[in-house]
Amino acid sequence: MNTKAQLFCAWCGVSFLILFTLGWWFIAGYIPPMSPAMSANEVAAFYQENTGLIRLGIVITMFSAALSAPWVAVIAVQLKRIEGDFPALTYALLVAGAVGVVVLVVPPMVWTTAAFRPERDPELIMLLNDFGWLFFVMTFSPFFIQNLVIGLAIFSDKASSPVFPRWVGYFNVWVAILLIPGGLITFFKIGPFAWDGILAFWLPLLVFFGWFLVMFPLLLKAIKQQVLLVESE
Amino acid sequence: MSEASEYVKKTKPHVPGEVGIWVFILGDMVIFGLFFIVFIYNRGLNSDVYFQSQATLNQNYGAINTLFLLASSWFVAMGVDDMRRKVVRLAPLFFTLAMLCGLGFGVVKIIEYREKISAGITLTTNDFYMYYYIFTGLHFLHVLIGMGVLVFLWLKARAAVQRSADTSITKKENEKENEMMLIESGASYWHMVDLLWIVLFPLLYLMK
Repeated sequence: MNTKAQLFCAWCGVSFLILFTLGWWFIAGYIPPMSPAMSANEVAAFYQENTGLIRLGIVITMFSAALSAPWVAVIAVQLKRIEGDFPALTYALLVAGAVGVVVLVVPPMVWTTAAFRPERDPELIMLLNDFGWLFFVMTFSPFFIQNLVIGLAIFSDKASSPVFPRWVGYFNVWVAILLIPGGLITFFKIGPFAWDGILAFWLPLLVFFGWFLVMFPLLLKAIKQQVLLVESE
Repeated sequence: MSEASEYVKKTKPHVPGEVGIWVFILGDMVIFGLFFIVFIYNRGLNSDVYFQSQATLNQNYGAINTLFLLASSWFVAMGVDDMRRKVVRLAPLFFTLAMLCGLGFGVVKIIEYREKISAGITLTTNDFYMYYYIFTGLHFLHVLIGMGVLVFLWLKARAAVQRSADTSITKKENEKENEMMLIESGASYWHMVDLLWIVLFPLLYLMK
């Protein structure tokens, strides 16, 4: 059994967090999020004044997004241990996780398109900016399914020493539900449910990032447990 | 079992359901708590809009729904209590009544939404109605999940009644304990749905 590959994949999840934060937040400057109520000229100014940093930050953001693929894969490996020969939930996780990578890659590419010719019509820059933000914050559905199926698989674990403790199942379902408010941003330009709002943006973002930090040590533990099980056989 | 040991058993602290469900329940309540703080804060900034909109809500619907959920919670508690007995008899009935109350809540909620929407009041009308639709909508989602949970409780209760009637079907003691834990978890979830409404109702409909 290759533990190293699994550990590598788990660390990819942490690397995703670090690089995504670095690129998107600290270099490209997308956090705190700009208001959807900003005028076209204000939006265009953001891209004109920070062109270089946005381009650089987005390269890092775009790269980091794919690091969530190995991360989802190692969770899937552990879920497969629960499910056995017909791992429907594991496959659901893999498909949802693959779409999740797309959801994390496409918005940065749309934003960088805006930064590619910052001198163009501000209305067009705003269009791309809107598209990027809506795609990024509103598309909660693959992540919702991802976390839901992880929860369901953990609930189905009937082993005497389960892969994950049962509370982790409830935690994942909780995270899944918390991502839902993102779906409301299409209705609002201001307030807590706009794309810069506390309930539609900050809460799901913090919960999603927190999910990695909670799952990481649990994954390491599950891998360790798997090693012990294999050795004892 | 002697009386003394029975006493000891009863005073041992008991957490209903499994520990994990409390991660979910407390987590969910923290989030709703945050929702409520955001609401109250923004209400303080622009109270006129909130008061005027609040006055257009139908308090009767809210009050009826409060009664529905309180009654359903009581039925669930009675059902769980019945499940703990040696001979289970009434639990399926209690869970059915709880489901009917949940259904009643849903019907009233839909009538209320219909009235508001046909009067041209939607999510984007003003801040108050934004919170009204989103908070009650998310709560309604919890009710729908809860209805699924009640169906699960009802199925478990029906199986328990059959076991009580037919002594040839036996279940191991630890399996029984496990089942009871699941039932308590489901019941705890339903009580949370009730509790959230009990906060939502005064917050949206009554608070001056």
